[in-house]
Amino acid sequence: MKVLQGIRAAPGLAIGSTHIIRPAPAVDITEQRMVDAPGEISRLERATEQAIARLDTLRSAASGDTAGILEAQREMLDDPELKQGADALIEAGFTAGAAIARVTTDYAEQLASLPDPYLAARAEDVREVSRRIVAELRGISLEVRLDRAAILVAQDLAPAETVGLDTTLLQAIVTETGSATGHLAIVAQGLAIPAVVGVTGALDQIDEGVTLIVDGDRGTVTIDPDAASHNEAQMRQAIAMRDREDLKVYRDRPGMTADGVRIEAFANIGSLAEAHKAVEMGAEGVGLFRTELIAANGLPSEEAQRAIYEEVASVLQRPLVVRTFDIGGDKPVPGLDIPAEANPFLGWRGIRLALDRPEEVFLPQVRSLLRVAATYDLRIMLPMVTVPQEVEEARLLIERAIKDLEREGQRFRRVPIGIMVETPAAAVTLDQFEGLIDFASIGTNDLIQYTYAVDRTNARVRERAKPLGKATLRLVAQICRAGMPVAVCGQLAGDEYAVPLLVGLGVCELSVAPARVPAIKRILSTRTLAEMQAQAQQALVGP
Amino acid sequence: MIERIIERRVTLGSKSGLHARPASVFVQNAKGFQGQITLSKDDKTVNAKSILSVLTLGAEQGDQVVLKVSGDDAERAIDRLASLLEEDLG
Repeated sequence: MKVLQGIRAAPGLAIGSTHIIRPAPAVDITEQRMVDAPGEISRLERATEQAIARLDTLRSAASGDTAGILEAQREMLDDPELKQGADALIEAGFTAGAAIARVTTDYAEQLASLPDPYLAARAEDVREVSRRIVAELRGISLEVRLDRAAILVAQDLAPAETVGLDTTLLQAIVTETGSATGHLAIVAQGLAIPAVVGVTGALDQIDEGVTLIVDGDRGTVTIDPDAASHNEAQMRQAIAMRDREDLKVYRDRPGMTADGVRIEAFANIGSLAEAHKAVEMGAEGVGLFRTELIAANGLPSEEAQRAIYEEVASVLQRPLVVRTFDIGGDKPVPGLDIPAEANPFLGWRGIRLALDRPEEVFLPQVRSLLRVAATYDLRIMLPMVTVPQEVEEARLLIERAIKDLEREGQRFRRVPIGIMVETPAAAVTLDQFEGLIDFASIGTNDLIQYTYAVDRTNARVRERAKPLGKATLRLVAQICRAGMPVAVCGQLAGDEYAVPLLVGLGVCELSVAPARVPAIKRILSTRTLAEMQAQAQQALVGP
Repeated sequence: MIERIIERRVTLGSKSGLHARPASVFVQNAKGFQGQITLSKDDKTVNAKSILSVLTLGAEQGDQVVLKVSGDDAERAIDRLASLLEEDLG
């Protein structure tokens, strides 16, 4: 038995036997031979045609982003300049494989040097195109096929390699490269398949057909486990399965403490798909709709936004809190000129940008939200607020939008206005917002980052922030004392240790990832409000 | 006879610039015409029927690009391709 440590990419536990995928040896780009050039050129032509045919089959099975990537790759395979360049190199004595590798490397380098990060990333597609043609030249297949249930072990898996996979046979994924936020992690999480990436030396140490335990929660891979490890893993699998079954009954129950005090269990969403998921998981409302995700390709028009919000609201048929665009230097929006900043988290973002660019950013969004509110229960939440004056200014703009809508004879309704409490400034002065806002929602991720002065994306200091430390809890206590309804929509709301403390301090709504909603309802049901209050008081002062 | 080349300066309309999808649509349309077609940005000129070359222009929304078309169907080609470049292809 041997245990390898990697990076957690997708949660879950799998026990199974391995299927190893070894990378094809690289092409020798200096390979020159006395070749029959016309014959080599037609060999390349045939290989390219086969690669196109294979890609067309794959494309018909793909959807979404993967389909877009494959479509661009197909156009690249059929590129006349690629063919001319490769043919010329073959005439000069290179083999077909060396010629195509040389030409594509040249294009990949040109693309990789472009300032636009999206275009630079297309370099990977060009390299993939080269691999596809070379695979055809060598008569090998790039697609991974499974004929039995197995754990895939590979150096890396490209999107195209995972498209054709029979996911009912795929038990887990282990790769030598990759990161927790990479493409493979996203795919594995979407499929709910455990994955551990960044396992150095995996291919050297793991043989075909051996038994592995892949632990996506701990990021470990156990090779040839002994009986004790095997039993422990089986037991954990059984517990996880029973837990999933147990939780199902909580979907249809309201969020409440053991003594029947209502605490709303809401969901955070960023898309229509997540709205459906929220309904499926029994969320009682949406406490945070992150709208900046719909602006990923540029700010949509008022009409386009109205259509999106209306569709989300009609799927939900329950309270919907919409956070206005939380855009800043770290989340650039095409078409919106936001200068790069040394400290985007302390920079021109959220409500600051909205107030400075009302015509472009804030007003079209507010107008579309007020119009959807004519039919649905919708509330507006302002991000990154620090002082009451910002809310006053935002309210003036909202009044202006209302006057315009009235004049135009549009259907609309006034809505409750709230703020995200994510800066220490807003947290310690929330009472000063009395009369200006109808509710407050604590964004714990940013509040903790600003309070502890710790950049949560910086691995060297990340552990120094204490999500449940006294600084966080005392701020939450102070926020709750301001006397308005307080929700929590940050990651802390989904933490089982944090829930009793937050509720004990006075929080009345928890908004979490849709899949966490049933678990939150279960935690709430295990204690009385008085027990949670006692626990919270102790945490505020105790050791 | 000297071959006629027509030329037009166009401002790119696609929000994301000439990214993979807009570039794909543009190149597929260019391939539908007979003559030689080039696309230039600043002092770089590339074959408009090659997606790899078009992507390497790194053209963004609002950039000025120049289309040059030769051949019998040049008029039709330049009208069609110019309007594609001006449109927001997503």
